Amino acid sequence: MSGRVLAAEIELETAVLAFMAGDRTASFEELALRVFRFQQEHNAPYAAFCGSASVGHWRDIPAVPQSAFKHAALRCFPAEETAKTFRTSGTTGEGFGEHHYRSTRLYDAAVLTGWDALGLPLLRQFVLAATPGEAPHSSLSHMFGTLGARGAQKYYAPDAFDVAELAADLEESREPVALLGTALAFLAFFDRLGVRKLNLPDGSFAMETGGYKGSGRDITKAALYARFGDSLGLPPESIINEYGMTEMSSQFYTRGLGAPHAGPPWVRALVIDPETGRDAVPGAVGVLRIFDLANLGSVIAIQTHDLAIACGEGFELLGRDPAALPRGCSRAADELLSR
Amino acid sequence: MTTREIATHLARTSRAFPLLGEITREDLLTLVTTDLGHPDSLDDFQPCGTHRARAIAPRTILHVISGNTPHAGLQTLLRGLLLGSHNLCKIPRTGAPELNAFAAALPPVLANRVEISSDLNDEWLTHADALVVFGDDDTIAHFRALTRPDQIFVAHGHRVSFGVIFGDHAGAAPAAARDASLFDQQGCLSPHLFYVARDARSFAARLAHEMEAFEKHSPRGKLGPSESAAIAEVRATAAFRAAQGEEVALWQSRDSTAWTVIFQNSTAFIPSCLNRVIRVLPLPDDLPAALAPVRLHLSTVGIWPVTDEIVARLADTGVSRICPLGNMQNPPLTWHADGQRALAPLVRWLDWES
Repeated sequence: MSGRVLAAEIELETAVLAFMAGDRTASFEELALRVFRFQQEHNAPYAAFCGSASVGHWRDIPAVPQSAFKHAALRCFPAEETAKTFRTSGTTGEGFGEHHYRSTRLYDAAVLTGWDALGLPLLRQFVLAATPGEAPHSSLSHMFGTLGARGAQKYYAPDAFDVAELAADLEESREPVALLGTALAFLAFFDRLGVRKLNLPDGSFAMETGGYKGSGRDITKAALYARFGDSLGLPPESIINEYGMTEMSSQFYTRGLGAPHAGPPWVRALVIDPETGRDAVPGAVGVLRIFDLANLGSVIAIQTHDLAIACGEGFELLGRDPAALPRGCSRAADELLSR
Repeated sequence: MTTREIATHLARTSRAFPLLGEITREDLLTLVTTDLGHPDSLDDFQPCGTHRARAIAPRTILHVISGNTPHAGLQTLLRGLLLGSHNLCKIPRTGAPELNAFAAALPPVLANRVEISSDLNDEWLTHADALVVFGDDDTIAHFRALTRPDQIFVAHGHRVSFGVIFGDHAGAAPAAARDASLFDQQGCLSPHLFYVARDARSFAARLAHEMEAFEKHSPRGKLGPSESAAIAEVRATAAFRAAQGEEVALWQSRDSTAWTVIFQNSTAFIPSCLNRVIRVLPLPDDLPAALAPVRLHLSTVGIWPVTDEIVARLADTGVSRICPLGNMQNPPLTWHADGQRALAPLVRWLDWES
């Protein structure tokens, strides 16, 4: 990598880090356009996709579909300078996607600054996930690992952990605790606990993330949160949902039931009408498009396939609605091939 | 009522339902003859080797009908009526207007042999001598588990279809557009993709033109956000790959997801997200290998042109039906849906040795 390019990236990285830290010398709008132009210049696959699109506003920045990470190495630096690669799970039969980083400085700052904005106490963390060492390509494990800076951690590998051990660890806690994990890992934990109820100390909270893709399970958020209540005595207000993905470097959070997801100041979300590709009318269901300054080394704008309704600065997340999929004797791709 | 009398009534009622194709009394009796050996097999003993035999139809058939194509629902009811059975039709909650209309158009002697409901009560399950179930693997497994050993069980699981074009692009394109557009691609006879022997890319461009034309006179139904989103994603992925210099090309309706054609220089079968999204791939030398991922789910292949040589080439690919392109959605009354006979699996036989 030439010194000039590296200098340009470091200058932008410094500006984004300053923005994350609260410096508003440059606006989101300004930084977004600078990041986009930097990527257009240094990320050849993205530039090819953008073509000659004229962009005068961050809303007009072309968004790559999530699947693009499966079909090209979307990075603004030479492959040999890759320090970290996160992989998607690849359940749709097209192989997995890869998100490359030259450095995780922005990623880690996004995780910690976003988390701090939730205003949660520093608690001992029990993490239902593989450790970052065991799963070096999992962005989720990396995120959990980064949150280790906000409390001592103990990991319980999903599918393999000793339920009695985790239950004992939780019951022995005299101080409030934080439980972090995927929704599926929590469900598996609750299933194995059976009717047993652990009462966590007051002030404890849980953070759950992820859908049920490929698991054959499908329960509503209300039902999931009811199980947190039944098994751990946690009320919905003590449960936080994280919305993130391998293709994105920042996270959106919501607390309890019924509140929209909100992101930190360095991300924006639009809800797009998939029929027309333009903004969905207010209140209508569309697909989420995310603009994330922390994606400096890859692509700032990601077109997700998650359904949502715009809600102020945030959105009400609906996920992928299985009831809306075609029914009957002809079936779409992943469903057919997963059998 | 004899089979011949029933056939007369059914042919008359069917005339008002072009969806079923043209069905005459003779067609219906031919179906009985093909499947049961004689048009009167259900009414009288007929010669059978050294003895005589009579077919006994189920007194009551429970049809579990899925919502994606009205055609399959109408056909199964038609067969049940032709057998002389009483027919309980469990329809989806979203309704089955064609089936209701057909039942309402029947003469009273046959109309009182049809009950339609979106709720399945236990009495129906207990009462039925035979079950005919359309649906996905889960639906079929569900009903199979509820079936008693003495009840006949016929299942029609989910299937995928495709087309193969060997030549005459100009003639093939409108036929291909029709097959890919009818029923918004929701049926098991709807093609997911077309394999093209020569110059697949230029065929894709022609097909796009015809998809646009079809949309003009028969617009696709309105989609939910999830289905629209699936199409938007498939399109964006194709556009991204094309921009990377991959051999992928995309044609699409403007300002809507009404139709999409994607050319891709690869051979493995790619199921469509449906709702008029169709891929065009070059025909590989080893077609069975390309079809391997869906071999157990194959139904129909539509071909163009139709020659004995082409039919012979496709006969061992695992499909259960070969038909001319443009006719994929119109199987004849006597067709073997999913490779099974229509009436034979539902009857039992009474032998009389003199």
